[in-house]
Amino acid sequence: MNELDAEVVKVGDYVVVQRQNYYKLHKVTANGNLLLGKDQLEMSSIIGRPMWTTYKMEAKVTGKRLYTLLETKEVESLSKDLKSVLPSGLDNRSIIDDGTSQQLSTEDIVGLREAGKSSKEIVGKLIENSKTFQNKTEYSQAKYLKKKEKKYFEYITIRKPTIRLIQDIYFRMDHQKISSLRMDTLAQLLSYSGVNADGLYMVYDSGSQGLPASAMLHRIGAGTNGKLIHMHPGNIPQRTLIQAMNFPEEQLRRMLTVNIYSLIRMYYQGTEQFLEVSKYKAKSDTLNVECIVLESNDTDFTEDVANPKVPKAEAEVKAEGITEDNSSNRAVNSFESKGLKRKLKDAPSHEPPKKPKWLIETQEAVEIMKVTKADGLAIIAKEHPLNIIKGLLPFLGISRPFVIYHSSREPLQETYVALKQRSDVINLRLFANFLRSHQVLPDRTHPDILMSDTGGYLLYGYLVD
Amino acid sequence: MSFNGSKDLVEEGDVVILYIAPSNMHSLEVTPKTLNKKGILVENVFQTVYGALKVASLVGAKYGAKVDLSRGWAYVLQPTSDLWTLTLPHRTQIIYTPDISNIVYLMELEPGDTVIETGTGSGSLSHALINAIKPHGHLYTFDFHEQRVSVADIEFKKHGLERYVTVEQRDVCQTGFGDALEGKANAIFLDLPHPWLTIEHATRCFRKSGGRLCSFSPCIEQVQRTCEKLMSAGFIEIKTIECLQRELTVQYKTVPVLKLECLKSKHTDDNRNENNGKEVGGLERLVTVSHAHSLPGHTGYITIATLPPIGRRSC
Repeated sequence: MNELDAEVVKVGDYVVVQRQNYYKLHKVTANGNLLLGKDQLEMSSIIGRPMWTTYKMEAKVTGKRLYTLLETKEVESLSKDLKSVLPSGLDNRSIIDDGTSQQLSTEDIVGLREAGKSSKEIVGKLIENSKTFQNKTEYSQAKYLKKKEKKYFEYITIRKPTIRLIQDIYFRMDHQKISSLRMDTLAQLLSYSGVNADGLYMVYDSGSQGLPASAMLHRIGAGTNGKLIHMHPGNIPQRTLIQAMNFPEEQLRRMLTVNIYSLIRMYYQGTEQFLEVSKYKAKSDTLNVECIVLESNDTDFTEDVANPKVPKAEAEVKAEGITEDNSSNRAVNSFESKGLKRKLKDAPSHEPPKKPKWLIETQEAVEIMKVTKADGLAIIAKEHPLNIIKGLLPFLGISRPFVIYHSSREPLQETYVALKQRSDVINLRLFANFLRSHQVLPDRTHPDILMSDTGGYLLYGYLVD
Repeated sequence: MSFNGSKDLVEEGDVVILYIAPSNMHSLEVTPKTLNKKGILVENVFQTVYGALKVASLVGAKYGAKVDLSRGWAYVLQPTSDLWTLTLPHRTQIIYTPDISNIVYLMELEPGDTVIETGTGSGSLSHALINAIKPHGHLYTFDFHEQRVSVADIEFKKHGLERYVTVEQRDVCQTGFGDALEGKANAIFLDLPHPWLTIEHATRCFRKSGGRLCSFSPCIEQVQRTCEKLMSAGFIEIKTIECLQRELTVQYKTVPVLKLECLKSKHTDDNRNENNGKEVGGLERLVTVSHAHSLPGHTGYITIATLPPIGRRSC
């Protein structure tokens, strides 16, 4: 499908900028800069060039860490070039850490950098002026060079965003932004939800930057018949990581993003009743027509959702907190989502006869749900999941799986106990995962020093008659 | 034909999952007659711990419906790749859903991809791979074992998946994957005793745009040799992980609560007699989980690597 050179970087696309083992998501703008650590990169030269292109960072003004990008095919590797020519010690018996092994002062090193020296020159100087480097063992030298290389590495590669890369970026940067969804948990969530190119899937997500919906839409694929209903609890859905995948329009259209309150209310009460409530509320509150739908009359949903565990007021505060969090986060496109928010707020007052997009999508989702039951359901909740699953199970087909993720075990335990009492849920299982990565090098293979223990919990089951 | 898209009703020829309990599930083919041990065609009756089921009686039943057994009941489910993995007939060791999930995720599969798998084994992973790449993707799966290949081939046909998969008998370590697959694949999966022997063959099969290679090995020595080979063949982002799924059994636990506060002051005699002289506070009922006393502590190492596009490879 995607042959080399077929995919060039366009303005508006998202790309992943890779600098060695560091990755960052970037939205391409006509004249944008990217802050990579302390370095400012002028990104405009990547436009029109294929993905996977490597660039050398060239200092624009000597002394400032502002760089332009120069396309290159060659990447200098410090560890290969410098290591092979130097002698090394057998062990560390003669190495004493007295803080004087490096003869260069911090100013000297900064000076080298400001003089526009290349990373190879700088690191070469560092080694030259190190009393102990030549006594270090071969392995220790390699480790030292790797560390320095990381600091002074001058090459970046532009990559196409994938679910794996963006999950990794967010999990490392701030795992709570994606509900601490670890790679293995997300992978299992996708498997257990049964999502594939065929059928209708539902996902409820309250604040993971859209990662689960994005991953499910990716599995549904381009040019297929699969559909996704993406439910969220707030005024504005979190879509950063959906946009980050640069899905084609055709694929995005098969995902309907709806507010869960609006969806359930419209399903049970009908569009007219639903609009009446909105209109009535709109008069009393001209500030924000959209959110009225979510904030009122929680009591008249269905019997199932009627007893929320979290008091209403608190839930609202929470929902707001999440949205605020979203807008204030410094993710790449935060300014964009703010723009979107403004637009949504303004829309009704300027052109009242036009149906807002959210209303059209909600109606569409209700129409689909009236005739088709979902083939799989995934819930990634910050809230207590019990009422959510109770509210959504009526829309799941029988013989179809559901899976609930929560970062804490207790809400899932309680949900388990409640679902176990129902006769229409089977194969209920609660999981947690252990994930460990390994360093694999000749004679130096061992588990990585650091691992993550924030994998969260998955509750999985099937709905039956 | 029950593996290709959702169905509402059981039809003759479907493979269905008979669910009795999480640890008691069976897959069965809905045919009115079956061959018995002596090779004679007899009525297809399936025996469970809760009695017998006339398999033909399932035809027309709703997927997800309760069906009667002679001494109880069960549910009939349409197979998903997870259920199939739990119930399929084993011809080899198989890879289970936790590892499968990681493999599919890390290979970054999506509908339309071309994937190579070797060996086919019992087809547990194959079903999941097909599920991830259909309707316009294709799986090429190889095994050096003649019987496994032919059984897998029959199985894919029965499951209505033959459009998405090609099964071939081949020793890929010796002969590679064949000229026809050169430059075709975006993902390659290796589950072999000597995966490092196939890396060169595999590299040739990747598209010009590169792709992801995944190798599953139980032993760390296999991983070491494979990683070394991958590095020299120009692969980047080489990572090795292991993942264990731990099941938590939700249960009520009643724990006694001691009352020690009241010991600080003198008690009346009545009180002490009631509790037989002991100070007992009562019982508290908790919802908690118990962990398995014994569970799989190792399945295999998943090694995953990226092959950059041609022109961006270091070798």
